[in-house]
Amino acid sequence: MSVIQQLIKEFSRLPGVGSKTAQRFGYYLLKRPREEAFSLAAAICEVAEKIGPCEVCGNFTETAQCEICSNPNRDEGTICIVEEAFEVGAIERAGGYRGLYHVLGGRLSPLDGIGPDEISVRPLLERIRSADGAVKEVVVATNSSVEGEATAVYLEGVIRPLGPKVTRLARGLPVGSELEYVDGSTIVEALAGRREM
Amino acid sequence: MLKLRLFRNLGDQELSFPPEGVAIIGANAQGKSNLLEAIYYLETFRSFRGARVEQLIAFGEDVFRVAGQVVSGNDVGGSPTEVAAAYEGSSRRRKVTIDGAEPERIGDAIGRLGAVIFSPADMGIVNGGPVRRRRFMDVALSLNEEGYLVALQAFRHALAQRNAALRSGQLEAVVRAWDEPLARSAATVMGARRRWVSEWRDAFRGYYEEVSGGDSATMTYVPKVAVDDLPDDGIYGACRNALDVRWAVDLRRKSTSAGPHRDELLLALVDGESAVEAREFGSGGQCRTVALALRLIEGDSIRRARQSAPVLLLDDAFAELDDARRERVLGLMGQDRFGQVIITAPKESDLPLQGDGLPRWGINNGQICA
Repeated sequence: MSVIQQLIKEFSRLPGVGSKTAQRFGYYLLKRPREEAFSLAAAICEVAEKIGPCEVCGNFTETAQCEICSNPNRDEGTICIVEEAFEVGAIERAGGYRGLYHVLGGRLSPLDGIGPDEISVRPLLERIRSADGAVKEVVVATNSSVEGEATAVYLEGVIRPLGPKVTRLARGLPVGSELEYVDGSTIVEALAGRREM
Repeated sequence: MLKLRLFRNLGDQELSFPPEGVAIIGANAQGKSNLLEAIYYLETFRSFRGARVEQLIAFGEDVFRVAGQVVSGNDVGGSPTEVAAAYEGSSRRRKVTIDGAEPERIGDAIGRLGAVIFSPADMGIVNGGPVRRRRFMDVALSLNEEGYLVALQAFRHALAQRNAALRSGQLEAVVRAWDEPLARSAATVMGARRRWVSEWRDAFRGYYEEVSGGDSATMTYVPKVAVDDLPDDGIYGACRNALDVRWAVDLRRKSTSAGPHRDELLLALVDGESAVEAREFGSGGQCRTVALALRLIEGDSIRRARQSAPVLLLDDAFAELDDARRERVLGLMGQDRFGQVIITAPKESDLPLQGDGLPRWGINNGQICA
């Protein structure tokens, strides 16, 4: 296989990239000044060398502990559980959350052979136990898919006996949406989760 | 207007149907049912004959496409909606567009055509297993009730996960984590089924009596999880409770034994005081009449949900009916219950609608000639 084909094959592994797009990427790089290709390659190498999971929460980090876990201003009494590390970024960008995180690295899915031992549940429980009562609340922010729901139910069952309050993100209308265009199942959820004003 | 490309044996064709409809006459195995299958594919994006989507591609080809211009509602003259569906065998990709735009989910696009199909295979709803009757309810509800299909898919998904957890011997806490999403979606599905049956059972009985001209029939929803007089918001609790009660059984059988996947739609023939299950004791004509009554209420529920008369697709649906019953069914179909009519028959004399005034088209080896 020629080196170009090798490159195209590598690109086509990326999510959302088919063989045609991979080919475009490959030929585009060849057409551009060499420096661009070198700088892309260097950035990829650097990420591969330097980024790893935070030893506490599993978030992406260049150091042993991530910026959030090592920040003394964060509220250690609250842990927010997410399925994937990139979801930490989503919540952080939104602002408004001052606690810590825990990245599961997946969700329960028996159809794919994924049980509690295949995701980061044990380290989470160990983390809560060793904090010795300092963790007051665990916010379960798994997705609202069927798997996300089941994972949340399971986590609630194993975390509550350790002491912390367990909460779940609210489900309902997207902010700024017009009722008319919201799909039926979301409206049903929003009605079920209505609150007194 | 219907555009066909490599759907079964129908080749490349563009057909413009008269507003009142058409009768298609052709010998067996020329493609009459294929044409109705292609039209109805635009309603549900699956084969009404239960064929897998790959089987709909013309022999030796890779992609089929069907596109139809649908004049919505009764406002003929309004601008038509284009519903198009394609499938590529090699990539297993399905594509559905409404006026050129892909909906977020294919489920969002079903029911745009508004059609009911009557076919010989409908007998299976009456004399086949309970799965056939559940599927009948599921299609009718998916087409007419917002949110039903989403809940049904969530239910099936949660059920598959819970059963996989049971089979792989996971801890009780892992298996039962699925109880909540399972019961939540189950409650939506069951509530909708119960409501639908109670709304339409009188109409069902009425249609049966009118066609049979004598005996009667009833339709009853029999859920596996008893919910008799519970209000809708009590069904969730009943489902959770059933999962608790049947836990030991589920664990032993490694599968979930309670839920809407075990529901039954009981179709009974009533003669005076006695009632018997149509499935076991119905004659050919009685079962056919039950099936017709089910399709007629399906048409009614489409008409009510969308406020327009559905297209009527008749695929040799009158076999096994005596002339008197046949006359009465046709009477029912004529009363503005349906809009456009597309009917197939092997020869002119087999057409149930004699003197119907529909234009005649021929079909030969998949080619339709107007």
